[in-house]
Amino acid sequence: MSPAGCPHVNGFKVDNWKQNLRVIYQCFVWSGSAETRKRKAKSCICHMCGAHLNRLHSCLSCVFFGCFTKKHIHEHAKNKRHNLAIDLLYGGIYCFVCQDYIYDKDMEQIAKEEQRKAWKLQGRFFPLFSQGQWEKYSTWEPTKRELELLRHNPKRRKITTNCTIGLRGLINLGNTCFMNCIVQALTHTPLLRDFFLSDRHKCEMQSNSCLVCEMSQLFQEFYSGHRSPHIPFRLLHLVWTHARHLAGYEQQDAHEFLIAALDVLHRHCKGDDNGKKANNPNNCNCIIDQIFTGGLQSDVTCQVCHGVSTTIDPFWDISLDLPGSSTPFWPLSPGGDGSTLNGESHLSGATTLTDCLRRFTRPEHLGSSAKIKCSGCHSYQESTKQLTMKKLPIVACFHLKRFEHSAKLRRKIPTYVSFPLELDMTPFMASSKESRMNGQYQQSVDVFNNDNKYSLFAVVNHQGTLESGHYTTFIRQHKDQWFKCDDAVITKASIKDVLDSEGYLLFYHKQFLEYE
Amino acid sequence: MKMEDMSLSGLDNTKLEALAQDIYSDLVEDACLGLCFEVHRAVKQGYFFLDDTDQESMKDFEIVDQPGVDIFGQVYNQWKNKECVCPNCNRSIAASRFAPHLEKCLGMGRNSSRIANRRIASSNNMNNKSESDQEDNDDVNDNDWSYGSEKKAKKRKSDKVFLHSLKQHIPLNPNSPRRSKSVKHKNGELSNSVNADPYKYNYNTGINYETLGPDELRSLLTTQCGVISEHTKKMCTRSQRCPQHTDEQRRAVRVFLLGPSASSLPDADTMVESDCYDASDGQVLMSRLQWDGSSDISPSDSASSKASTNNSDSKKPKKKKKMSLGLNSTGGGGGSGSGGGSSSQTSLVGLSNRKKKPKLPVPPAPSIYDNLN
Repeated sequence: MSPAGCPHVNGFKVDNWKQNLRVIYQCFVWSGSAETRKRKAKSCICHMCGAHLNRLHSCLSCVFFGCFTKKHIHEHAKNKRHNLAIDLLYGGIYCFVCQDYIYDKDMEQIAKEEQRKAWKLQGRFFPLFSQGQWEKYSTWEPTKRELELLRHNPKRRKITTNCTIGLRGLINLGNTCFMNCIVQALTHTPLLRDFFLSDRHKCEMQSNSCLVCEMSQLFQEFYSGHRSPHIPFRLLHLVWTHARHLAGYEQQDAHEFLIAALDVLHRHCKGDDNGKKANNPNNCNCIIDQIFTGGLQSDVTCQVCHGVSTTIDPFWDISLDLPGSSTPFWPLSPGGDGSTLNGESHLSGATTLTDCLRRFTRPEHLGSSAKIKCSGCHSYQESTKQLTMKKLPIVACFHLKRFEHSAKLRRKIPTYVSFPLELDMTPFMASSKESRMNGQYQQSVDVFNNDNKYSLFAVVNHQGTLESGHYTTFIRQHKDQWFKCDDAVITKASIKDVLDSEGYLLFYHKQFLEYE
Repeated sequence: MKMEDMSLSGLDNTKLEALAQDIYSDLVEDACLGLCFEVHRAVKQGYFFLDDTDQESMKDFEIVDQPGVDIFGQVYNQWKNKECVCPNCNRSIAASRFAPHLEKCLGMGRNSSRIANRRIASSNNMNNKSESDQEDNDDVNDNDWSYGSEKKAKKRKSDKVFLHSLKQHIPLNPNSPRRSKSVKHKNGELSNSVNADPYKYNYNTGINYETLGPDELRSLLTTQCGVISEHTKKMCTRSQRCPQHTDEQRRAVRVFLLGPSASSLPDADTMVESDCYDASDGQVLMSRLQWDGSSDISPSDSASSKASTNNSDSKKPKKKKKMSLGLNSTGGGGGSGSGGGSSSQTSLVGLSNRKKKPKLPVPPAPSIYDNLN
């Protein structure tokens, strides 16, 4: 018997008590259908004063309703020696001898089952799949054994706002700052962190070379409370083994590393998606795909018949051109002079991330040298192409194309691009496309639609030249608390530092998550 | 108050307001009651206070925001001596040099052969006690391994495959028997070449004993074969178990160079003869190695990329000394080795089509790491 139970239930647990209890729950506590709700409303009133609120309780041993506030149920208990009553609002069991609500394991089990049945009748939604059926979400409760262990070990590592746990430096293994900065960004991706800290990866790889396992280990290292920087040599070895094109002691591109790492993680994640073997890349439900994969819609419109051919491609990141590269940035729309867009002048002020996104999703005239075969006209015609977001990933990564590798020159484009802390992607969605057909870029925001709102949580910066440079990362640990990760050294950073930085890779996280 | 059907149409606004207010306050009260039950249950079941922690622990993990220190309150740049164990060759490498080491170790660098060539051309000085130079000379004079450049690539591949099948030998011993084994048991190519054509080898480097003082000679002779070649009048720079010379020759050299009282080769039983080590051997090794100058833990990895010699093998003999000094590899040095190794093994097999199995069985050698871990 648990400490929360009481010995007085034994008197009740005789004969057909389970069935009786179920009936009480079904009729008087959890009302599944409209009729039961009505019946409850009409019949459940205090037998002494007629109140139907006042914390009405039902006696467990006989048919009696009494209110708690006026102690009518207490009187009944004393008179009839019926020690137990049930609260009709939340189903808690009260013991008059103990004078407190008690929690008996068997009775709680029955309560839980009856509640689930009622909810199902009500058509309620169960988000959690556990032990073979769909359940409502419930917080973790320790078992008796766990409670014992926890009581014997009172020192805790509690993560509060002013806590270093979750932050850790990474030793540079020799030009590996490109790897370190991506690792910092990934370990501070909230959903990924939750996935690994709740131990959700079930490894199915035979050898010891699963990158997802190593990632899991990495999270353990980050949350271990150790202050000395971690040495990610195993990670480097595994990445080089699985992504040959990255191997080699030389400076690499962080963006390339991100894509390669996500790819290897995705490949190694096979066994995690509820048992569905995801060999089909379009059907994969691994954590990497759930978090990072978005859908990019490409519409090619024939200029003659205006027929649209649409394809949707998956993406993990969006690569944005910058002003200052050899391909012209302005004007944004073909034929438009681009000087004022909806009242905003682009010539003054710095380029913003939104500008880059607008350019990315602009309709692009493909020109007479690139005619597309139109299925409507059955001939080659000129067309315009436009990219929009069909499905937004939970974590959106923007890659500012600062490294130019054209035929003539290879250089770094240092143009400052200002990026916001909060970003609304609604204007760039496929669904918003119609309103932009004329080149009008509306920024009207529907305040009730939270689907497309993102907030910044990591910024990767590059200092130096194309040939040689150094990567650092700003990450957000708690709301509005930012840190600069420079290999082994982690320091506190201000929001201004973050927003003033050049920006190379920008990581945004969806603000509101909804279950499907 | 009995529940009865009420019609709302006859009521005026104030009554309706009052009703709405009643309903609202009932709802709020019910919600509060729900919260009370939650807390009550948590306290009674014992998990309400679970996440409370003591002040001391909280203080421990507070973020520090001072100039010159990181968030843990640590000064920058104190991490120069961090080490790790290479999953491929199981050697302890300085963390900041791990990437270049791994590149050579896995044989995937484009720099490997270029640097190795440079090394062979430039290494000439045996007086310098730095690791890399000793390494170089050792390898170059190593008749087993020093080929002309045209043989480099082919040789390296085959050696690599061979090596990985031998990787269970944790080569802490500078006089690793591996070398002799490989000469004896490797099929065809290598063993033949040892005796086939001595004039192919590079005689430009070597130790001229006449230029060394007695102290230097003494220290040199504790780690090297030292037998003076009749052709070149130079000392053999291979290990003390080099198969080309006998112990008798070595003893003779020592007597010749250091005088009859010079202690000859160390006793056989303090040397590790087999692949099995235990802690006492380690202790002996460590005490002997204390002498060995440089405090630089890792093999400077550029040194490891000898052209003809395969990377891992050439490094091992000398470098192992350094490793045993600093066996504080983070997490599972011994254990993780096999994992990393197996993966690299499969990838290297892909590289080379010939897989040479050593004739000797390969016992999993308990290493010094196991004991210390």
